[in-house]
Amino acid sequence: MIRTAVGKTISAKQCQKLTTLNVIRFKTTTASKDEVDHFKQLAPSWWDTDGSQRILHKMNLARLDFIRDTLNKTVQVKNPDIFMPGYNYKEFMPESISHTIENEWNQSLAQELIKKQFKVLDIGCGGGILAESMARQPFVKNVLGIDLTPECITVAKEHAKQDPALDGKIEYKEIALEDVKGKNYDIVTCFEMLEHVDKPGDILEHAWRRLKPEGIMFISTINRDLVSWFTTIFMGEEILRIVPRGTHHLSKYINASEIEEWFQRKHSRDHKLLNLKGTMYIPTQGWVEHNCTGIGNYFMAVKKLR
Amino acid sequence: MMFGRVIRRQLATVTKSNGPKLTDVLIVGGGPAGLTLATAIKTSPILSGFKTTLVDSQNLTDRVAKFYDNPPKEFTNRVVSLTPKSKKFLTQTLGVPLMHDRIQSYDGLYIIDGMTDARMALDKDEMLDMIEILNIQASLLHRLNHLNLPSDSFEIKEEVKVTNIESSVKGDPKSWPIVTLSNGEQYKTRLLVGADGFNSPVKKFSGITTRGWPYDTWGMVATMKLNPLSPFARLRGWQRFLKTGPIAHLPLPGDNATLVWSTKGNDLSQLLVQLDPKVFASMVNAAFILDDADMDYYYKVLGENPNDPATNETVIEDINQRINQVRDSLRNDSLIDEQYPPQVIDIVDKTRARFPLKLSHADTYCSDRIALVGDAAHTTHPLAGQGLNMGQHDVEELSKAMEKGTLRGLDIGSLLCLEPFWAESYPFNNVRLGMADKLHKLYGTDFPPVVQLRSLGLQITNNIEPRDQPIIDMLTEEDLRNKISTTIPDVYNVIVTDLSYGCGQSFDVVVVSDIFQGKNKLQRSRLVNSSLKEEIGSIHAFSCKCYTEEEWAKIVI
Repeated sequence: MIRTAVGKTISAKQCQKLTTLNVIRFKTTTASKDEVDHFKQLAPSWWDTDGSQRILHKMNLARLDFIRDTLNKTVQVKNPDIFMPGYNYKEFMPESISHTIENEWNQSLAQELIKKQFKVLDIGCGGGILAESMARQPFVKNVLGIDLTPECITVAKEHAKQDPALDGKIEYKEIALEDVKGKNYDIVTCFEMLEHVDKPGDILEHAWRRLKPEGIMFISTINRDLVSWFTTIFMGEEILRIVPRGTHHLSKYINASEIEEWFQRKHSRDHKLLNLKGTMYIPTQGWVEHNCTGIGNYFMAVKKLR
Repeated sequence: MMFGRVIRRQLATVTKSNGPKLTDVLIVGGGPAGLTLATAIKTSPILSGFKTTLVDSQNLTDRVAKFYDNPPKEFTNRVVSLTPKSKKFLTQTLGVPLMHDRIQSYDGLYIIDGMTDARMALDKDEMLDMIEILNIQASLLHRLNHLNLPSDSFEIKEEVKVTNIESSVKGDPKSWPIVTLSNGEQYKTRLLVGADGFNSPVKKFSGITTRGWPYDTWGMVATMKLNPLSPFARLRGWQRFLKTGPIAHLPLPGDNATLVWSTKGNDLSQLLVQLDPKVFASMVNAAFILDDADMDYYYKVLGENPNDPATNETVIEDINQRINQVRDSLRNDSLIDEQYPPQVIDIVDKTRARFPLKLSHADTYCSDRIALVGDAAHTTHPLAGQGLNMGQHDVEELSKAMEKGTLRGLDIGSLLCLEPFWAESYPFNNVRLGMADKLHKLYGTDFPPVVQLRSLGLQITNNIEPRDQPIIDMLTEEDLRNKISTTIPDVYNVIVTDLSYGCGQSFDVVVVSDIFQGKNKLQRSRLVNSSLKEEIGSIHAFSCKCYTEEEWAKIVI
């Protein structure tokens, strides 16, 4: 009962926030000073995979799995020589054959994806964990990472320099989203970011405008419910201390249904929900996907239609 | 011969280029582990794009690769037993065409305790394959060569040693290491793999500590010629535990067999290695049939009169006579082939070699920019024949971790990418190292109570049905799931989780069935425990939760 009561009162407020802003008078995508200060403190240890950001590094693995999974569904294997039986072939065929089928299938999917050469915009890139992982993908042409914490941008730039394979594939800028000039990105990502801004509706709108038709927006944030409070704030920050304290504020969390609602209201004709998955952290296994999208953290992929 | 394309021989003059060359993976060591890793990378559709460089101090082109096209008539002395798992990885996953005519499958191991004559036969279909290490190496080189890779994709630097390793940014272990070779060339690498054996320079650089102990035991190997007249009733391995250590006789194709003889202390192995081949062959026969007291006597006589032809003659004659006495005492002649290995008549020239044995295990197999595989990570007593197989398992897990990391956009040199490799392979190896070590200690003693107990163990084990051996087989999640689903009625759902990373040592089980209706917690777990009685005996830790369908529905939703 408490859950629904709390959920409802905050949800109304949040919905208002998401929907009221049609006219943008000032830079609404600017992050609050508190948030910038918080991430400034985290910047030096951003790439310490055993340090305070370990759980974020682990989550990045799940993000990439989700992105790859979603993108794989958008391409079709055109090679007529490769046949994927419609039935559950793994049950019936010898292991070596089903293994070969799977391998050929995955390879030809990868070849189709490589042809796409996506341009990626990573909003709220922090120290560049996602941006680097994306830039290393063979199907990505280049990545622009933006963030409003200058210390994070410095860390991200320094870290990218260490890998010659990223040379020319990655760029970082300390600018607000609405100052990003290009409007032709194939992929726009807002991972673990909407819960840190005051006006998520504006971010979504600006991000959507930077996406070209047929492009895909990847979003991840946290449902505003007791489970999220318990896992991300109470356990994560207070008890286990695996998330830096002060990272999250329950009132800023956004339910998956609210984002869907926002798209229905603002872009009812030109969007299509491609993929939506819940994700949760299990200490021995890392982040695992699940289908209860109304609880805890979630990933979402929305395609912009022509 | 197309080896020129893959293997570039080093020219005497190497122009010093500007700065170190870049490579993604630098493998130090061209042994089975190093070459398998290179092949795993280059045959993987996900990893093949990584520039790979392999460094070895030997001449792989002449010494190793030619073995494939022009194999010697006799078998070489470094022979290992390949488990089905390792063989599957090499031949099926990596597509390596092993030289099948030089592999001998055998169906079991016959173990004898020399001090009490307790016996045990471990029979199994195609349990292991005896294979020369050179066969594995040459077949891997053959596979790599036929990939026709350009030198900016894969390169072998041979007859060079690693002279120096340092971080490119001083004091930053996450920066790419720079490796200097004895020919003056320098490589800056994303990932540095130590496949360079026990005294690994890569391990030294990484600062990873190793735990272990020397055994004060020497291993000796040799290729043996068997008497072609002795009927080979059984193609199996033979192992006997003597006071001085175990001796093993393992089959090779035709009238060949390979010997692994470990002895305590330096002097005895020194003596055996220098014996005249004919005497040595007789001593091997004696070691499998005669008593420890007889052996002690021969060691003494031969030690006092080194390489004296007359003494040699007497010893050979004496051994033959005593062996015949033992054979005559058997109830019937067919027991000769059942209980004793085929007779050795000669030792192939220059195949006898000895080496000190030790157990060692590195605390971890990876750190930033570094991975250790094979003997660099662990060395073991050859008793259980697990050394090479553990190395193959390392490589399989390392390449899996690299593939997964690459799909997720990780830097393959980062610890985050390498961590799963260590998590998967360390417990697997630790179990095997521990077993080989405990076997060695158990059989390395002549302390009477221990000897009696272990013989009792052998006798008892031999008298019950051949049981699955933990070193070869382990319980899997699948096994438990099947057992539970077939033994407990009305099973709605079974979830089995192996908490020991595939070691089959620790399981967490959830069983959902309406048979639990009206039973309390204790009654429920008794039900499961009794259905898994045999399995639980071989598991270290087991926990079980039982639910009825109704209770389960509440939990799941």
